Amino acid sequence: MNTISRRHFLKLMGATTALAATPPILKAQAVPPRVVVVGGGFAGATVAKYLHRWGGAGVSITLVEINPTHVSCILSNLVLNGSLGLSTITFGYNTLQQNGINVIQDQAVGIDNGNRKLQLPGGKILNYDLIVLAPGIDFDPIPGLDFNKIPHAWKAGPQTTLLQQQLAAMPAGGTFVQTIPPKPYRCPPGPYERVCVVANYLKRNKPRSKVIVLDANPIDPNFPQNPYSAIVAEQATFTKAFSRTYANIVEYHPGVVLQQVDSQNKIAMTDHGNFKANVLNVIPPQRAGGIVESAGLTHGGRWALVDPLSYESTLPGQSGIHIIGDAQGTGQPKSGHIANAEAKVCADAILRLFAGEKPDPNPMTNSACFSPITAKTASWLTAVFAYDPNTLDPTTGKMGVMKVVPESSGEAPSATRENYQRMFTWANNLFADTFA
Amino acid sequence: MISHHHYLLPILSSLALTIPVVAQAQPPAGRLLAAQCAQCHGTDGKAVGDMENLAGNNAQELFNEMLEMKYSTNMGDIMHRQAKGYDESQLSLIAQYYASLRSGTANRGTNNGAAGTGNNDD
Repeated sequence: MNTISRRHFLKLMGATTALAATPPILKAQAVPPRVVVVGGGFAGATVAKYLHRWGGAGVSITLVEINPTHVSCILSNLVLNGSLGLSTITFGYNTLQQNGINVIQDQAVGIDNGNRKLQLPGGKILNYDLIVLAPGIDFDPIPGLDFNKIPHAWKAGPQTTLLQQQLAAMPAGGTFVQTIPPKPYRCPPGPYERVCVVANYLKRNKPRSKVIVLDANPIDPNFPQNPYSAIVAEQATFTKAFSRTYANIVEYHPGVVLQQVDSQNKIAMTDHGNFKANVLNVIPPQRAGGIVESAGLTHGGRWALVDPLSYESTLPGQSGIHIIGDAQGTGQPKSGHIANAEAKVCADAILRLFAGEKPDPNPMTNSACFSPITAKTASWLTAVFAYDPNTLDPTTGKMGVMKVVPESSGEAPSATRENYQRMFTWANNLFADTFA
Repeated sequence: MISHHHYLLPILSSLALTIPVVAQAQPPAGRLLAAQCAQCHGTDGKAVGDMENLAGNNAQELFNEMLEMKYSTNMGDIMHRQAKGYDESQLSLIAQYYASLRSGTANRGTNNGAAGTGNNDD
């Protein structure tokens, strides 16, 4: 059965799994449909958790994650200045397992969607009726870049520890150079938050040190005199932080594109010349995690093309594959908070599809985050997104996009101590809603 | 689709006796919307730490509180921003959904050591 006719067949049956010509809800209960989730970060863990909470025994869930635990990128900049230990932002999958979710520590290497099979190393196979991919990001290769010497620390874990150790060993009066990739990338305010956290750490511990920021994002042509108009998120907050709070420490260069790295000598080679560092942190340009690209779900672009009602791929032959979190290309920001939000929309849609229904026609998601600006203060950024059926998505060529509700979008008026405390309350609830 | 439902209804109710939780064709109204509050207010509105619990609150009070934030001119509060993202019927659904839940304590899991508040002495 080819894809088109198969789709029609499924529509007639009112199910995404062509098991037999019986009412789909009965089949779903007799033999629970098998959902395989690839990736156990904020998106993957949340979709597994909520498929179980909302689907119960009506769905069989397997989570495939290569690591035994997930280390949160959220709050991980606070490991760099010694405020938090890595263990406090490390989460296991025990609660998911206790709830009957089958957690397999392995690598997803390929997808045979025609036969509904996920390929694991050594010829192992996982059969699925529907698969959710939440692999996060991969990095573009940069000539000369060796992550063992020049950490990205943009996937939290050993890389975070490496950067923390390099900063601790940096001499007073030294130079920290950090590159920022072109948008979109994981966590829009994250690179600027890191600049602040490191500048604050150096100010207190390594007098006379400099922070040189090489931002690939260009100055806004509407504000050609304002270099800070290149800042991707929380422009008011970070303009103030760079130009006032850390005026004698931070040197901000917009529109500088990294081309090559001398990892041995810690030199960032750019279209605006070379920048030598004592500690060099390269955050490379980003794209969807490898399995999304190798399965042909990006259509030659960087991110997966999906329908924001269900996060199912819009590409022919890819029905039954849903992509959530940083790897999806709806244009919503790439962050743990909204990955959790997308996962709930996806879980709800999957259960409705199994029951022969259509996804909720008006899904909402939201983004919220707090960023430390000093060792005692933090800012926030937030936005609510609503589905608009009447706008064309230029990436998929289909109608329907997630759009910011205008007045819902904004940043904190100033970085405050109260926000610093609220940052932990936010993060701890998000961690619990995802992993517990 | 409608006739399909009528056909399934009696079968569904009989199955409910033997299968404790099943995939529902029609999830409770407001459930998906309300789940978007859980990132900060906890799963099912049961928060950890210093955050307002939503589960089991009075629907009218919750609704009024969200309306106040929605129409507030204070743009410097994160919840006032959030409330502006939803229309009144959505806020009402969210309030009614949380009012329908029992209040209680959050599940922090066995392996989810929350990050605490950091060591920011200086």
